[in-house]
Amino acid sequence: MTGRDRMVLIGIVVVAALGAAWMLVVSPERKQANQLNAQVSSAQTQLASAEGQVASARAAQSQYAAAYASVVNLGKAVPPTQEVPALIDQLAQATNQKNVNFASITSGGGSSSSAAAGASSSFAQLPFTFGFEGSYFDLEHLFRALTDFATPATSATSGNLQVSGRLLTIQSVRLAPSSSSQSGKGGVSNLTGTITATAYTLPASQGLTAGASATSPAGASTPASTTGAPSSPTPAAIVSVNP
Amino acid sequence: MRAVNLLPVEQRTGQSVGAGRSQGGAYAVLALVGGVALMAFLYGQAKHQVSSRRAHAAALTAQAQQAQAAAERLAPYTSFVALRDQRMQAVETLIASRFDWAHVLHEFGRVLPSDASISSLTGTIGSSATATPSVSTAAPSTATPSTSTSSSASAASTATPVASATPPGSVPTFTLAGCATSQTAVALTLQRLRLIDGVKEVTLQSSTAGSTNSSGSAVAGGCSGHDASFNAQVSFDPLPSASAVATAAATKTVSDPTSASSATSAAPAPTATTSGATAR
Repeated sequence: MTGRDRMVLIGIVVVAALGAAWMLVVSPERKQANQLNAQVSSAQTQLASAEGQVASARAAQSQYAAAYASVVNLGKAVPPTQEVPALIDQLAQATNQKNVNFASITSGGGSSSSAAAGASSSFAQLPFTFGFEGSYFDLEHLFRALTDFATPATSATSGNLQVSGRLLTIQSVRLAPSSSSQSGKGGVSNLTGTITATAYTLPASQGLTAGASATSPAGASTPASTTGAPSSPTPAAIVSVNP
Repeated sequence: MRAVNLLPVEQRTGQSVGAGRSQGGAYAVLALVGGVALMAFLYGQAKHQVSSRRAHAAALTAQAQQAQAAAERLAPYTSFVALRDQRMQAVETLIASRFDWAHVLHEFGRVLPSDASISSLTGTIGSSATATPSVSTAAPSTATPSTSTSSSASAASTATPVASATPPGSVPTFTLAGCATSQTAVALTLQRLRLIDGVKEVTLQSSTAGSTNSSGSAVAGGCSGHDASFNAQVSFDPLPSASAVATAAATKTVSDPTSASSATSAAPAPTATTSGATAR
């Protein structure tokens, strides 16, 4: 074996030793480092997501008071139960204001009392037939008042909805000469107005506030008032409520 | 004379260059040492990365768990606000899907000519199952509402999460009976009715001129003298589609019904004739 051959052999041995060291020691460690890099990225993503959830939850916590007020006030438009006495009171008050005689109310006229869509989360329908007596324009004003029980807010600063009474969807209107009185105020003939309307109730599975109190929702360990979070900059959804 | 090779033994011809006394072993040792040093450096670097990244990942995971715990603690607030938003949108959808009856009655009063009057008026929305008014004992109703214009009502209702009693796509229809001083007045009445906001079609069903009998009492549909008794049907545009209602609810558009009557600005102001069924 010449010296050159020895040199080549020694080189091969050195390279092989270094290659083996790379393969057996260094490379696995570097591979683990890369895997941990991916793990760090995943943890960062997880943290960002969790922080987003926390931010959203804290925003919800700061809005809780306004949300609670909104839900309670929405209960005037869509109560959890039928609340027929309250509906009658509202109709009587509206008819008195509009010089209309509230003649009759019949429940369950012609429509299913359950939600047509069949979804348990949708509002249940409660059909009624109302009878009123008054002049043409008084009845028109009464219909406007019934519509205005629940309307979109007219100003941007007053939230989304304006609720003063029960949400009613009028399905049919019939005006005919009144048989009881031929002449009303100012010599104007009275009409009998028969309207078929539908009120709505919340799903049976939900209460008015779903178990929430004024200070905290159901299942919350920390009352909203103890968090020190700033109040929501957005206005309450319902600010105009006439009890 | 004997030749003497004065070159050192390691530099004589036939010896490999650089082999030296170690026969190249020194180079091999140097290369090995250098390689081992490089390997040690790379290994240490990787080891450091592993430990630091492991610690970082553990810290991030702990922070994420804390944040998730905090979010779970506050989850009831999120759920309650979601409930509020859901109910709000449902109510807005129902409001947006309503037909403005008061405005239409106002429009009838605006457009009706002074020589015509309405004796009865029936307006309906929806299918026959939902639009047939219940007859109450105090205000009996004998008229049968029109049911021919609500074919798409039930289909549209399934597209919305909230089932409205006046589903999108259903067509409001009014059937009215009245009296006019002449057939010309009936024609004018039909023309005026077309001016009402949202009216799609006005159809005359009948118009009968009265004839006075010997006693002078009215004989044509309860109208007096020679007045013509007429029946007409007024159909309106279908209620907005589910998507339009949802969009309106989402954008919180407020429609002002009183501002939409510009088309009827030419119509005369309501007179005493239109204020009641038998005011004439």
